[in-house]
Amino acid sequence: MTSITSQKTGARRPSPAPLPDRSRKRGGRPSGLPWIMPAFVFVVGLLYYCIIETGYLSTLDWDGTSPTPTSVGFGNYSQILQDPIFWKAIWHTVVFFIVTFTVQTAIGFVFAALLHSKIKLGAVYKVLVFTPVVLAPATMAPVFRQMFAADGQLNWALDHIGLGFLSQPWLAQSSTAMPVIMFITVWQFTGLTFVLYFAAMGQIDPETLEAARTDGASNLRVLMSIVWPGVRGTTVALAMLGVIGALKTFDVPYLVTIGGPNYSTEFLGTYIYRISIPSAHVGYGAALSILLLILALLGAITVAARANRKDGESSV
Amino acid sequence: MLGSSRIWKRRLPGAAAVFTAAVLALAGCAGGASTETTDKGSADSGNITWWGWTPDSAPAEAYIKAFNKVYPNIKVTYKKLTIDGYDAAIRPALASSVGPDVFDVAPGAANGSVEIYGVNAVDLAPAVQKLLGTDWKSKLAPIGVSSLTNDGKLAALSVGSNFAGSVWVNQDLFDKYGLKPPTNNDEWKQVCAAFKTHGIKCFVQGAAQTAFNEDTLQAISNNVKPGVWAQALDKKVPWTDPTIVKALTLWKGLFTDGIMQEGALGTQQYPDANNEFMSGKAAMVMMGTWYMQYSTVDGSTAAISGAGVGDPKPFTQLPIAFPDLAGTGNVGSLYGDADFGLAVNKKSKSIAAATTFATWLGTSEAGQQAVADILNDIPALVSVQPDWNSIKLVNPEAQRPALEKLISDAGKSAEPRLSTVSADLQTAIGVASTTVAAGQATPEQAAATLQSTAEKIK
Repeated sequence: MTSITSQKTGARRPSPAPLPDRSRKRGGRPSGLPWIMPAFVFVVGLLYYCIIETGYLSTLDWDGTSPTPTSVGFGNYSQILQDPIFWKAIWHTVVFFIVTFTVQTAIGFVFAALLHSKIKLGAVYKVLVFTPVVLAPATMAPVFRQMFAADGQLNWALDHIGLGFLSQPWLAQSSTAMPVIMFITVWQFTGLTFVLYFAAMGQIDPETLEAARTDGASNLRVLMSIVWPGVRGTTVALAMLGVIGALKTFDVPYLVTIGGPNYSTEFLGTYIYRISIPSAHVGYGAALSILLLILALLGAITVAARANRKDGESSV
Repeated sequence: MLGSSRIWKRRLPGAAAVFTAAVLALAGCAGGASTETTDKGSADSGNITWWGWTPDSAPAEAYIKAFNKVYPNIKVTYKKLTIDGYDAAIRPALASSVGPDVFDVAPGAANGSVEIYGVNAVDLAPAVQKLLGTDWKSKLAPIGVSSLTNDGKLAALSVGSNFAGSVWVNQDLFDKYGLKPPTNNDEWKQVCAAFKTHGIKCFVQGAAQTAFNEDTLQAISNNVKPGVWAQALDKKVPWTDPTIVKALTLWKGLFTDGIMQEGALGTQQYPDANNEFMSGKAAMVMMGTWYMQYSTVDGSTAAISGAGVGDPKPFTQLPIAFPDLAGTGNVGSLYGDADFGLAVNKKSKSIAAATTFATWLGTSEAGQQAVADILNDIPALVSVQPDWNSIKLVNPEAQRPALEKLISDAGKSAEPRLSTVSADLQTAIGVASTTVAAGQATPEQAAATLQSTAEKIK
């Protein structure tokens, strides 16, 4: 755009550097289109096309391979709204998000604050806290299944420290299976929360902290009145990622409890897989996927909107 | 600005064409009916791939080795997938043009369903007729032919059949502690109490992997009153029938009477229950005829090693009849289907070589003898029996008569196991089994819910 205008008004502006012959033959400037085309096709083709295709599939009664799918319009959606497992999965997602986000935020924030102070072996602690983030859930799932089994290490440890009365088959009970899934998730992702808070705390102006201390603010006061508001952007980003992550939760519950017992650890992700693959209701699974997408977008928008409103209020 | 829009006008059709091509290419990947490859390739040479959830890698390699003695120029590469991951892998693979040449299918609508994937398979009837003659159906196990025929097409060739209903015991553990395999409810409770004092789990079941709960429930139901379970599957009796309610009550008793291992609802049949049994931590497990393969020295050693035992030592594994829980005397029922069939992918570039492999394993004497001798399946070719002289059992004196009886009893059974169970019904049965076991529903309530769900299934 600029170079085209420049050619037309060339008398008043310094001439641009001579272009290669091929470009000049094509209209005087190198177009960006060929350069962005591969990425454009990739992004639009793979991402948006898949969403549109999934939207189309959600209107079918189809097993995924039959050449004769049946159109059911919005039938799958109305069926989903009456599906108790769907609502159970939504409820689990809400509880899961609230608990894991709160615990991860608290632990990550405290760890980050502690490791910003001069403590011995700080680098070692950072590695230890972050290591679970890079471990694949598929690798860790058998370990946790064994640890929380009725004859697993947790019960063994409880027995040996005189807390045998607390021993129970953790993964076999609806009441304890979900807390185990939450524990594993907190263990796995607190490192990420910690790293982001650690980086965000590094951006807080040291002079502000110094001024607060000069005014006699305690550590807790500094933490709550300066550091916490200072990392608000990170908290909002983590909340947004948390909402989306909770909605997409699949690997840990699927690998550790297969969504059970009795759907007590069923999430939208595991339900979509169960419905689409073993049960071969691809149309119904696609409708669930579209709802998941809408919920993820709504969740992210809500978190962002609330954050913007708060920003607006605090600036006033 | 004017120049810019002119450039766009000139280039837009090109961009649209590229975009449309990309979309169409992706749409092509999305599935739909596949048409059979015209060039079928050579029938006695080439490279083919075979995907399946069964058999294990060792038996598969043995089948391929035997096949290569006859067809040395066809290289077969076997890829074993997990039973739970098979559908997720095979569906996109068959939709693409680079899927396996040969793939496993099973009767019914559950895992690897022939009803779902049969559409991607070549009709093998002409090839079998060419090999066995016009009366080919009479030479193969009828259960294998009927259950793998889809829309009038022989979508896959049965390699053999599998039957459930038996319980497998670690005889060495029973001998070590001076115990006898239980035959009724009271004996079972006593045996389990005795094993518990020695720190051994008695009966393990991966009740979280609910498909296997169905085997146990069918065994109990047949113990209460033979045939009712099959009738319920066939919608001839409701799931609220007193026999089913009684079966659910007895099933609950396995959990409350200390027979089932603690935490069964959080345990999977594979790998958990299987590994517990193979590693000698549990004395009994609910498995079917596919467990015969672990009676051999090689099969047992590989399975024990696969269960994480560093120095695997084969032990005597024996099938026993499911104990008489109901006290009716109706014991020893077996129910089964064609275990798996080999289907040839319509889109394969080596249809002829793939057909050679599938028909050799499913219909030739040599192929079926290899199947029989591995003891993973009961052969589809009715004339073939295991060559006991060439099979190295861990404890031939104890195992051979038990295995011969199991094979003979299985041959007499006509009761289906999974072939008439849809995936939705399987889920509903699984829910009934786990809600009763967890105490979240009474047997009557679970049966009523099961019936109500079954009525909604198309």
